[in-house]
Amino acid sequence: MTTAPTATRAPAEWAEAFTEANNTDPEIQAHGKYFTTTWLLDAGEHSYAIKLESGEVTAVTVDPGPLDVPYQFAIRASSDTWREFGQPVPKPMFHGIWAASFQRDMRLEGDVLVLMQNLRCITRQIELLRIIGSPV
Amino acid sequence: MSKISPVIGRYVTIEVDGLEYKVFYLENGTGQPLVCQHTAGAHNHQWRGLLEDEEITANYRVIAYDLPRHGKSDPPENTEWWKEEYQLTADHFVNFIVALCDALELEDPLFMGSSFGGNVALQLALRHPDRFAGVLSVEGADYSPGFYLDWWQHPHANAAQVCASGTWDLMAPQSPEADRWKTWFYYSQGSEAFKGDLHFYSVDHDLRGRLHEIDGDKCPVVMMTGEYDYLTTPEDSARTASEIKNGSFINMPEIGHFPMSENHDRFRIHLLEALDALRSVKANA
Repeated sequence: MTTAPTATRAPAEWAEAFTEANNTDPEIQAHGKYFTTTWLLDAGEHSYAIKLESGEVTAVTVDPGPLDVPYQFAIRASSDTWREFGQPVPKPMFHGIWAASFQRDMRLEGDVLVLMQNLRCITRQIELLRIIGSPV
Repeated sequence: MSKISPVIGRYVTIEVDGLEYKVFYLENGTGQPLVCQHTAGAHNHQWRGLLEDEEITANYRVIAYDLPRHGKSDPPENTEWWKEEYQLTADHFVNFIVALCDALELEDPLFMGSSFGGNVALQLALRHPDRFAGVLSVEGADYSPGFYLDWWQHPHANAAQVCASGTWDLMAPQSPEADRWKTWFYYSQGSEAFKGDLHFYSVDHDLRGRLHEIDGDKCPVVMMTGEYDYLTTPEDSARTASEIKNGSFINMPEIGHFPMSENHDRFRIHLLEALDALRSVKANA
């Protein structure tokens, strides 16, 4: 079910909504057996270190300090870009990490191999923002 | 009521640049041949909606083939292809399409291709304006760098999923989910050919500065691109069309890089417009 996000959530609340959405998502749960990593969603105003174990989000650290949480790769973009990702139907070029990396200010950094190894589930995770709303 | 589709599949054996190929194609309809090329790393099921489109097949003989190394068209029959890296070139791609049209004895065919097929459509118009009655370049441009990536075949990642999910964002969120997933599924089947196809798409295909050489009277060009295409944007295609004599461009809202496969019902509206545009250019030439 897709519902329009009403207002931006507080970071802790967003982390909770993201965890719930991921852990109940049929696609990720069907295909996430080996989806085990920690990655950083960097949205400028706030960042989130998202820890996954076998497709389950087991921890989200909001605004981690410089050495707090090791992560394998990062998806970084401006707050404005992430806000567009949080629309129920995003505008062109804000509809995925490839689109926004090729045409907008998104950057895929760190061990991109781990991102590629988990691309199917990451792609779905990013689309959960259309349901729960922007992280900033 | 019979549930047997009117679409039929056949093989034809052809020789291109010394290579022998047994080519599989699907077809339906009668009238002017409309020869359809799938996108890189995919196969002819991307045209499944068009092949059963009653209005279009009433007026056109729709032929959708699998390029060798895709779908049911095997790699060359007469070489040890497994000992070489596959890198598609503009020369070979063009020669293949002409040889296929000759083998099928097609008269005045129209050619339509998407993505790397849209790019080769421009190559055909440039090199063989006498052989084709017109071309439809879908999601095409004079130059499309940036997608010849090692990730498509990296041995440490699941290449099938990288190719399929790596092209997912090329589709519009408005396109029906089931059709997007079919397109994803085709991409999961083509990872061994995808990177080699993109050698043509992003490296060997470069018509910058040469578009004015296309004879748009003999072989009119219509370009059509979806607004969610991040790889060849509507701006890229519009700019390309503007540099071709008689070239025209159709913007397709709420659609992406695989129009015929992600949303045929939406695509067909623009396709009918494009076929009309080709006819009127030809009539006025």
